[in-house]
Amino acid sequence: MLTDTADSCRIRLPDTLTIRTIAPVRDDLLHALQNQDSVIIDIADDAEGDLSLLQLLESARIYAGTAGKSITLARPAGGRIADLLAASGFRDAMSANDAKFWFHQGDFQ
Amino acid sequence: MSFPDPIAVFRTEAAELLEQIEAGLLDLNHDLADKEQVDAVFRGLHTLKGSGAMFGFEALAAFTHHCETAFDQVRKGIVPATHDLVTAVLNATDHMRALIETPDGDHGAMSETLLGRLRTAVAAAGLPEAPAPAAAAPATAQDAPVAASGLTTYRIHFSLPVNAMANGTNPVGLLNELRDLGACTIRADRSRVPALDDLVATDLHVCWDIELATEAPRSAIEDVFIFVMDEMELSVEPVGAPEDARAAPAAAAPQAPAREEAIMPAPVASAPPVAATAAPRAAPAPLPEARQAKSAENVRVPAERLDELMDRVGELVIAQSRLSQLANASADLQLRAVSEDVERLSGELRDTMMVLRMVPVAQLFSRFRRLVHDLAIETGKKIELITEGETTEVDKSVVERLADPLVHLVRNSCDHGLETPEERLAQGKPAAGRIFLSARQQAGEVIITIKDDGRGISRDHVRAKAESSGLIAPNAALSDQELLQLIFQPGFSTAQQVTNLSGRGVGMDVVKRTIDALRGTINVVSHTGEGSEISLAIPLTLAIIDGLLVRVGSGRYVIPLSAVEECLELSIEEDMRSRGRSFISLRDSLVPFIRLRDLFMTGTKPDPFQKVVVISTGAERVGLVVDQIIGDHQTVIKGMSKLHHDVATFSGATILGDGGVALILDVGHLVTAGQQQEAQLRAAG
Repeated sequence: MLTDTADSCRIRLPDTLTIRTIAPVRDDLLHALQNQDSVIIDIADDAEGDLSLLQLLESARIYAGTAGKSITLARPAGGRIADLLAASGFRDAMSANDAKFWFHQGDFQ
Repeated sequence: MSFPDPIAVFRTEAAELLEQIEAGLLDLNHDLADKEQVDAVFRGLHTLKGSGAMFGFEALAAFTHHCETAFDQVRKGIVPATHDLVTAVLNATDHMRALIETPDGDHGAMSETLLGRLRTAVAAAGLPEAPAPAAAAPATAQDAPVAASGLTTYRIHFSLPVNAMANGTNPVGLLNELRDLGACTIRADRSRVPALDDLVATDLHVCWDIELATEAPRSAIEDVFIFVMDEMELSVEPVGAPEDARAAPAAAAPQAPAREEAIMPAPVASAPPVAATAAPRAAPAPLPEARQAKSAENVRVPAERLDELMDRVGELVIAQSRLSQLANASADLQLRAVSEDVERLSGELRDTMMVLRMVPVAQLFSRFRRLVHDLAIETGKKIELITEGETTEVDKSVVERLADPLVHLVRNSCDHGLETPEERLAQGKPAAGRIFLSARQQAGEVIITIKDDGRGISRDHVRAKAESSGLIAPNAALSDQELLQLIFQPGFSTAQQVTNLSGRGVGMDVVKRTIDALRGTINVVSHTGEGSEISLAIPLTLAIIDGLLVRVGSGRYVIPLSAVEECLELSIEEDMRSRGRSFISLRDSLVPFIRLRDLFMTGTKPDPFQKVVVISTGAERVGLVVDQIIGDHQTVIKGMSKLHHDVATFSGATILGDGGVALILDVGHLVTAGQQQEAQLRAAG
């Protein structure tokens, strides 16, 4: 679901974000980043995700970085997504920038 | 460009997995101590469960989990493999197919029944004990020295193939299995993740660096990756001297995430060693060449795309034929040169296409191992299946259509051909009967032979049955082959008892019809008390053949070149002399011939120099009298229309270079007609 303003948009991702459902999410996200300067991603804390979601968001961050766009999470990762970050080894490998993106800084130092 | 439906891809891959599992089980049934097969079956079940769950086949995953658990116990030596256990899992594989075909069906009762049998088999094999902890597994020579505390720290780096997730591997599951081995720090390496516009969302680009402090041997770490080992990069190296690493990883231990259920318990040190184990992180050992080739050289292509390509090649061959005709009629040398080039290239393209469509008959033969296994149980006979020539290749459409006839023939051999163990022993034969299934190529044909060492076909029974059914006149003079061929007549069965397997008289005539439709022939040899041998000779391909183009009256016809033995001239005198008899003398033997002009009722006068094309199907020969032999012709076979499907004399049609149509003669039918004509003339004296 997209909520657009002049130069930014908010995307509400589906509640199931696994390899079976990730392909159209990638397309939506790319479309949003291509057409907006700033994209806010809204993921429910109890959303079901797997590694393909984390990889997708990492990939979106790389794209946004090289295209001069902004991408943020609507709220710090929590619940199942936070568990997934830990289980998949993303949490132990986080830089300050990563922590800022995933946990809005402060949550993770 | 359309992408294949992932569910359809899963179904295809699951079918292949089930075939492999079944083959492993059947091998294991021969040698219950074969650990390699135990591992192979376990891996297959594990992969099927994992990929099934990933694609939403929850019932399949849950059911397969129980079989996998049973085989995990076998793998660990907790429960021995037994014939009952193998049979229980074999039966379970049939159910798995049903769960894949109709995932929403009502399978609960059957699942329970089969799992009950599985539990009984496991219990009978030996009560399960507590699995030995991984740490208790014997250390191998590759293991690093262990500190007094028993902990060794390993630095592990691994990356999975990009299609790992799409194929059902859950990397987080692997990481959790490593966590089961001891305290570890896991760092995801995201440096290979591409930008969003280059990302295929289902591909995997993350790899991992791990420090693991464990009492388990290195082999236990490698065992975690046993299912993905073939195409991954893995390095495992001990870090310096062994140390009491409990404190260090604990300090850096990640917050314990909510764990999903471990797919399987920590493995023991039974996995094969890994080539890349000791390779340093910076330069992971390359995969063996064969493995790299395996992933690089095989491409899965839907069969219908091959059929489409074949159609295009067929059209090209027809167009090339027209070009050749135009070029030959032209004085333009350059046009002729180009035409010859196109002819050569289209011929090469056709040959390449043919090879693409070829599949080994091993695909076909593998299913008979299971069939024979089940038939042995049903009949109470001991049956051994011996296969030969599995690498022989045949056009895929031929393989598909051969499956049912072969099932009938193998069933017949098991049910009627082979004796009971008691009967065999009484005759001085080994208790176990043998079925031989072999394939070989021979001059544009594949010969598939089904042979048994049973009782053989009783000629007396065949004759009595044929006479009572009115198929032949009482005491009719028949050659041995003619007598044996009666078993392929509709409604014919010599079985004294109708069983579930055979004896209903349906089947053998279906075999005959199918083989005829494939433009093949059947030859039967049988010796009383020694067994029977049925050979099927089938053209290698059904799509394009080399043909001999002939003219009869004003029509043109194609005779499959593989059936042509020789061409003779039929002089007017000889034609006159043979009138009414229709025989020619060919090297001291009389060969019947059919005047196609009469058969096709052309109403034209014969050419002064008619030709006889001698064709054969195995031992039987017949001559076809034609007005003119035009020459060889690469023939793209087109099916007959529905209106003409019952015209037995023709097996198809083709388009000629000038746009005209030529009918393709059905050799089997014509030879039979010629032989019948000969029999009638002989009977008439």
